[in-house]
Order: sequence, then structure tokens, then C-alpha cells
Amino acid sequence: MTRPGRLTDEAAQLLTLSTEPWLSCEDCFRLMDTFVEAVLVDPDTTAFPQMRVHLRGCGACAEEAASLLDLLVEDRGSH
Amino acid sequence: MIPTSRETDLEEPVDWPTALLVPGARQDDALRRLHLLMVRAARHQVWRMRELLEGHGPELYDELANSAADEAVTVLLAKLDTFEGRSRFTTWAYKFAILQAATEVRRQSWAQREVTLEDWETWCDPRPEPEQEAEASDLASAVERAMAVALTPYQRKIAVALLVDQVPIDVLAERLGTTRGALYKALHEARGRLRAHLVAHGYLAADGRRGGSR
Ligand SMILES: [Zn+2]
Repeated sequence: MTRPGRLTDEAAQLLTLSTEPWLSCEDCFRLMDTFVEAVLVDPDTTAFPQMRVHLRGCGACAEEAASLLDLLVEDRGSH
Repeated sequence: MIPTSRETDLEEPVDWPTALLVPGARQDDALRRLHLLMVRAARHQVWRMRELLEGHGPELYDELANSAADEAVTVLLAKLDTFEGRSRFTTWAYKFAILQAATEVRRQSWAQREVTLEDWETWCDPRPEPEQEAEASDLASAVERAMAVALTPYQRKIAVALLVDQVPIDVLAERLGTTRGALYKALHEARGRLRAHLVAHGYLAADGRRGGSR
């Protein structure tokens, strides 16, 4: 097969993303509630750096964390 | 005043785990409240992801949300002893429903789609040495070549499925009979190998920034 290849720049970025320090999806789930509450208090919190790394590299966990945050914001608004 | 609705019978539990564990009227009320919370979170999730359910409407959204909420309650109750009180109980509970609902939506949206695990090697021209190739000076081409030489066939298939073909990680895990955690670990290792290869060949700086010596 000849060039050009099939990788987009976006895919190349995703493939070479640094996901250190390591955090598993299981640990991401375990920390998610405390992480999201911390973000709710301070969106720029630097606590949980390993969560930030994981969420950049894992689309599914990122969607779920964003959704949880959104739900808490909604709850806040309704109280 | 006599309470007129079930909602006013009892206050929201301060100590949810105890309320959920100790049999009695308080437990029934806590379970009912928990189920409502889970339905709310599951619905929220399904509606967020509804564009993945093209061709379906609110009926399916509700069906998915309700089944996810039921399943999430079961999972949560089995893990109740892991609640450490680091967050509000409701926040902790929501995440179970969100995970379950998101998983169900992704599964549903891929139900009719085949996941083909294509080995990159079969179409990636494995010209091994990038150094002298002028056209190889962009990151995408360098990554392609790195994939051919630095990854195992399994890592390559996983990486392509997840990051190029955008197969959701839980869908891929189900099809391969593995777990989301195991796939993410494989992806993490693949990324590490690609980065090391690109650093060695000057496409990435050792501190991880793009551009290295090229
Ligand atoms: Zn994850």
C-alpha cells in the first residue's frame, strides 16, 4: 500500500498521548465522586493530577466524569 | 401537620449505608429514594448520549435508563461497604448509574455494528527506517511506522480499534471477552512503546513534547 497512510493528526495525537502517571479505569471510577466534587468547588483544582491524565486518555471515563459533574451542577441549581 | 405524601414521611437519610442495610420502614424508604436517584442519573446519562441512539426516541431512552438504574442499584448495594464517606452519598451513588447507563447506550449503539480488528500491518507499509525519508517528517507518518515496528499485533489492533476506529472501550471489551480495565492497560502500554520509539527517533522530545530533534 502506498502513502499517504490512514492516520489523521488527531489519531496520531491520541496514540502518542502520555498517560503517565498510570491510573486504571477501576481506580478512576473509585476516585470519580471525590474528584468531581473537588472540581465543583474549584474547577482548576490541581488535586488528583492522575485523574486529569486518565481522563485525557480515556474517552469513556471522561464522558462519565463530565456527566457526573453536570448532574451535580444541575442538582445545585435546583436547590 | 400530618405528612400527606410518601416523600415527607422520612427525611433523606443522613447515614445512607445504615438506612439501606437495617431492615424496616426506614430501609424501604431509603431503597425507594435510592432507586429514584439512580433513575434520575441514568436518564441524565442516556439523554446526554442520545445522538448515539439515532432512529430511536424517548421510549427507548426510558427503557435503557430504567434498566440501567435497576442494575446500578444492585451493583451499588453489593459495594455499599466500599463507601468511605469521602463524597456525598448521592454523588457516590450517581456514578454507578452513570457508568451503567453509558455502557448500555454504547452497547445499544454498536449492537448492529461489526467490530473488525484489523491488523495495521496488513496495510501499513512497514518501510522500517524513517530517518532518511523526507515525506516521513510529520508525526502521523512517524506514528504509523512506529506502530508497525514497536507494537505487538495485539497492541496494534487494540490501539487502532479504540483510537482510530473509535470503538467504545466497553463495547470492544465485551466483544473480546475482556474488561475495560484490561484494554485501557494494553492501550497505556502501547502508547508508552510508541512514545519511546518516537523519542528514540527524534520525533518527540524526551520530556514528551512534540517535535523532538526534527
Ligand atoms: Zn478509563
